[in-house]
Amino acid sequence: MTTRARLPRLVAAGATLALVTGLSACGEGNGGGSSDDGRIHVLVYGDAANKVEQQIVDTFNEKSDVKAVLDTIPGADYQKKLQTIISTPQAPDVFFNWGGGSIKPFVEAGLLLPLDGFIEKNPDLEKKFLPSVFESAVVDGKPYGVPMRGTQPVLLFHNKKVLADAGVEPPKTWDELLGAVEKLKDEGVTPIALGGGDVWPTQMWFQYLYDRIAGPELFAKAVAGDKSAWESEDSRKALGMIEDLVGTGAFGKNYDSVKYTNGGSVQLVASGRAGFELMGSWYYSQQLTDQPEFAEKDLGYTAFPTVAGGKGDPADVAGNTNNYYSVLKKTKHPEAVAEFLKLMYSDEFVKAQLDIGNLPTTTGTDEFIDGSGTPEYSRFQYELVAEAPSFQLSWDQAYPQKASSDMHKAIQQFFNGQLDADGFIKAMQALPTD
Amino acid sequence: MPAPSTSKVGRPGFVWALPAAVFFTLFAIVPLIMVAVLSFMSWDGISPPEFVGTDNWSRLADDPVMLQSVWLTLLLTALGVVLQTPLSILLGVWAAGYQRNRAVLSVVYFVPLLLSATAVSVLWRALLDPNFGIPASATWLFGDGNLFGEQATAIGVLAFVSTWQFTPFHTLIYQGAARAVPPVLYQAAEIDGAGRYRQFFHITLPQLRTSMITSMILMTVGGLTTFETVLILTQGGPGTDTTISAYYMYDKAFKSFDYGTGSAIALALVVAATVVSLVVVRLSGYDRMRGSTEGVS
Repeated sequence: MTTRARLPRLVAAGATLALVTGLSACGEGNGGGSSDDGRIHVLVYGDAANKVEQQIVDTFNEKSDVKAVLDTIPGADYQKKLQTIISTPQAPDVFFNWGGGSIKPFVEAGLLLPLDGFIEKNPDLEKKFLPSVFESAVVDGKPYGVPMRGTQPVLLFHNKKVLADAGVEPPKTWDELLGAVEKLKDEGVTPIALGGGDVWPTQMWFQYLYDRIAGPELFAKAVAGDKSAWESEDSRKALGMIEDLVGTGAFGKNYDSVKYTNGGSVQLVASGRAGFELMGSWYYSQQLTDQPEFAEKDLGYTAFPTVAGGKGDPADVAGNTNNYYSVLKKTKHPEAVAEFLKLMYSDEFVKAQLDIGNLPTTTGTDEFIDGSGTPEYSRFQYELVAEAPSFQLSWDQAYPQKASSDMHKAIQQFFNGQLDADGFIKAMQALPTD
Repeated sequence: MPAPSTSKVGRPGFVWALPAAVFFTLFAIVPLIMVAVLSFMSWDGISPPEFVGTDNWSRLADDPVMLQSVWLTLLLTALGVVLQTPLSILLGVWAAGYQRNRAVLSVVYFVPLLLSATAVSVLWRALLDPNFGIPASATWLFGDGNLFGEQATAIGVLAFVSTWQFTPFHTLIYQGAARAVPPVLYQAAEIDGAGRYRQFFHITLPQLRTSMITSMILMTVGGLTTFETVLILTQGGPGTDTTISAYYMYDKAFKSFDYGTGSAIALALVVAATVVSLVVVRLSGYDRMRGSTEGVS
């Protein structure tokens, strides 16, 4: 009997212990990693670029009374962890993000500090950056981010040798691209390599075609919550062109089994079994690592072709505009943070970024490009971005993060024919926009 | 009340179970209760959670992807059991022999067991690349090699990779069990003139019955909780074609930041796995079983 009577008491004791352990864990975190320790916590995506971020933090600390600390979260977990700590006392003062949809939910939850106050005091904080890039971190008309890494526009890469063998010039227009596809098919190579298994490479075709045909306004409307944009005539036209391109066999038949991330599509182009690949600017260094000989001799690149009769400016680009530092409203040291952000357009920052292969988007980048590792390639990108009237942020980053999974499903399903245009439109309209 | 028995040595007090009980409470019961509560809330991780009644549940009930995911989970689990059981019985009984060559080959067969599920999945995704992997050199079998682009083949790949990975484990179970069969049974059978096949079907298999049930329960539970294979090989794709329930839970909670719906799926999974285990235990008579060599020794 006594044994049984003890049971409830023990359960209660266990529950109390659980609660106490939980509470003490909270308390510890509060004292340890938060901003209350008199320093600025800068949280970034953990990868090889961190050495530049550390260098900038060190530079800042030399002069500032308020010290900054760099905290990193390893890449794959970054967004998930950020999401869980941002509304807690453990939240950083300044954090890395992708602009657009990656910060919109935080803005709407009232967590972020609009930077117009800083900019009013120091207009350089806006003027020193390329406008199309700065624009990507503007939410509801207010700036929330300062560019802090490199820009990564999406370019159309090709294998020079494969194109020459088929008698094809790098295409400037959509019709030329279609012509090239036919000729490459006759040669027995896959015209365009695509890592459809990753889905985001497939998405690149959507974001460029929509921009060329409808201009950036259509997507801007959609992401702002006007779902009718997806059923517009321009939207259907873009979808029709994608359907036609896939239908002609431009991507071969097994693109959904190919991945970019395990090198499958990269090798297709390098080995001469495919002609083109649409990919972010990091593709160049990827090829340089995987296939150095090919990259130096035969890797060509152009901007995305123009589309006749399209409303979008042919000079528009799409891709990852840049990464940004955003500031939390709760920071206790706004002045120091403003000083810290100033370093993002310093000469030291630009040189350090160029040294690790990133292309910073300050107006002063120009004069340092010739000293970078691949001056010709860097200059091509820089001019493309500097002259672009609009820089379409990758769709999955422009929408709130929570929409990206369903967006990828819709894109893959339309591309491989599981969804028709109506189905795709419905799926895109169902995505959350706030 | 009848008087307590004369035995002086009482059963160990509950205190003995305290460490385990505390851990179980902390890491299983408490999270389970929190998940249950969360399944009635709407929470994106940023704003405070809000009670939404049974919204998450009713939405899931009408969600074709959820319904499909249940079938896919059951299908993959069934495929796993059907493929792995005969394979691992044969391999296990074979490996139970004491010959030198069998020992060497067994070591080779057990290699997949030493690799993490993640490594195995990454490996097979690369090996099955349509242009540079196995499909490219066996086009008579794989056609254009679009294994991950269609539902049937993608499911086939998932079942195959799980089989490749987990068969060694179950082989190990059967190897041990086969070695535990008393040799006297075989000697008696030989005297009676039973051949090797007869011995296998009438002695080995019946003697492996308990191990078979253990192994099948493990396969079923493993199949129901399969996750990383899908995460790395197919990401639930193409589209939602291989989105099994566990992956759908991850997709909702950690990709779409809809923790409420994710929790509802998680809870449903817990309930389903418990029910399935109970049914298996009941049907197999596992709960009434005693030692497998009963009546022999």
